[in-house]
Amino acid sequence: MFALTTLVAVSFSIGSFRIEESQRPFLYAVLLWIILVFSALSGLSRSFVKEQESGTMDILKLSARPQAVFLGKLFFNLSMLGVLELIIVPAFILLMGYKIKFPGCFVAMMVTGGLGLGAGTTLVAAMIAQANARGALFSALSFPLLLPLIITAIKGSERAAYGISAAGWPEVKIAAAYAIIMVTVSLLLFPLIWEE
Amino acid sequence: MCTLKVISIGKHFSSTILFKDVSFVLNSGDVVAITGWNGSGKSTMLRIIAGLVRPSAGQVEMFCDNKPIPKKARRQYVGMVAPALALYDELTALENMEFFCRVRGVAYDRKSCFNILERVDLVKHAEKICGTFSSGMKQRLKLVQALIHKPPFLLLDEPGCNLDSRGIKSVKNIISDQRTCGITVIASNEKREVDYADSIVNLSN
Amino acid sequence: MGRIKVMIYKILLAIWMNLIIAAVFLYVEPAAGFPGEVSRILFFHVPMAWVATLAFLLSMIASSVYLITRKVSADFLAQSSAELGFLFCFLATVTGSIFAKATWGSFWNWDPRETSIVMLLMIYGAYFVLRSAVPDHEKRRVFAGVYSILAFCTVPFLVFIVPRITSSLHPEDTLNPAGPGMDMKTLIFFLGSLCAYTALFVWMLRLKVRMLRIMDNEQGVKFKI
Repeated sequence: MFALTTLVAVSFSIGSFRIEESQRPFLYAVLLWIILVFSALSGLSRSFVKEQESGTMDILKLSARPQAVFLGKLFFNLSMLGVLELIIVPAFILLMGYKIKFPGCFVAMMVTGGLGLGAGTTLVAAMIAQANARGALFSALSFPLLLPLIITAIKGSERAAYGISAAGWPEVKIAAAYAIIMVTVSLLLFPLIWEE
Repeated sequence: MCTLKVISIGKHFSSTILFKDVSFVLNSGDVVAITGWNGSGKSTMLRIIAGLVRPSAGQVEMFCDNKPIPKKARRQYVGMVAPALALYDELTALENMEFFCRVRGVAYDRKSCFNILERVDLVKHAEKICGTFSSGMKQRLKLVQALIHKPPFLLLDEPGCNLDSRGIKSVKNIISDQRTCGITVIASNEKREVDYADSIVNLSN
Repeated sequence: MGRIKVMIYKILLAIWMNLIIAAVFLYVEPAAGFPGEVSRILFFHVPMAWVATLAFLLSMIASSVYLITRKVSADFLAQSSAELGFLFCFLATVTGSIFAKATWGSFWNWDPRETSIVMLLMIYGAYFVLRSAVPDHEKRRVFAGVYSILAFCTVPFLVFIVPRITSSLHPEDTLNPAGPGMDMKTLIFFLGSLCAYTALFVWMLRLKVRMLRIMDNEQGVKFKI
């Protein structure tokens, strides 16, 4: 809901012709990722807080393997991000008149970017569920971790949309590497914060 | 044959001491009651044994057939019921059972689940959403959840709370069944529940 | 170290620091190719950045040691090191920014160095916020350790990405300590300053760790009573 509201507000106030042609590739990529990241964060932060609030966190600690819990939460977050992107990205393209030169590369960027978002924040979500001031803490902790990914994703989408000869692929690879490394490290570290 | 060793356990939260130097040893067939004033740390003691809380001092050791159980594997051997442990309100009773079977790696089979539900008089409500349950019904389902993997170590924190006379009877049956195959630790001040036990650990002393 | 040794260490450090400061302003000539006196900032800015890097690395290692051994002293080291690293990192940012204004005309222009230093400040800012938000001591230490390892894993990505986007104006070849751009006199005082700052860091770190230990002991005493 937050995502759609922001999207409508952005496209209403900017429209598709207010930005000069030469500025578009860059600004559109930035806007798209700002909308995606902010709307994703509000949902991602809930994944473990929900268990804590309903009192099911301890029973889960008692019965399930920590790795299973982590992977379960990760897949839940990733599917949520998938749905979010499926709604937001086409809507953004339609409303803003976003022309994409290399759709394959663009889609790959969206997928790997989404994977990275989920991978980088799931462990943080598990930590903040056990701390005070959860909502504010989640974005404070996630942003520094996500910064390299967001920069990559913006650059990659810009290049996929307007670049020459699919120049966005290196960014896709970087985002994929980011997702893989974050998942691996989180999987190793998760039992430490779970069994505390 | 299983053994539970609690060795000079102490716990403090920042500067308040809850209890210290609590030790006891239990073998299969033993039922012990942990008693004490409100706030004396009964529930915390149980949570320490279950491995949910780290003790400030001392340790808990578990053995099955003389083999020590490593900390990471303990969740397979422990079943716990406590007021603070909640089930998933958005699932039905049966779905909750299926979920806990799956995460514990116990083969899920509808018929045996119905058998367990039978023991606590919940068969009629098996397909109802847990969020609509009364607190007594939830308590029964929590008992079921703790028994699903036939744990040799059963930890009951106020097992009789919110239960009617039939529910209390099924708690009694569960404890007497557990005598034949494992250890039961009850945390309660309820006279009736303390009477189930052969020995008492009082945390207020 | 005994009391007297620490005393001697402190006095020597003070004399050494003062000598270096006096010398770099009075004795060493400003490097060629930079307007006026700005190149003198080399003797302060680079050691600060070096100490910040050292401190963050030390903090990361100490955190990992804590997670493995669960020794409280490792966490004291991690926390103190992170705090001092933040301080030096901030100072390096400010001095770097002054240099940028003097040579390139603006305090800030998202040079790769500036981007990565902001990233570091953000990570450690978040690290302190996390520490203050977890009430339980043990949990706080574990979370802080986990977060700093996780954050450390994201840093290499900046190295890949940032140069693809902007090119650096940061003087490296002209002022590289081992490069041809630095004459003997400058090099000696530069290394001297580096040693002085590292020694200063070690002294501050010891103080900070001792302070944390005393505070922790006080709580421990309360518990025993």
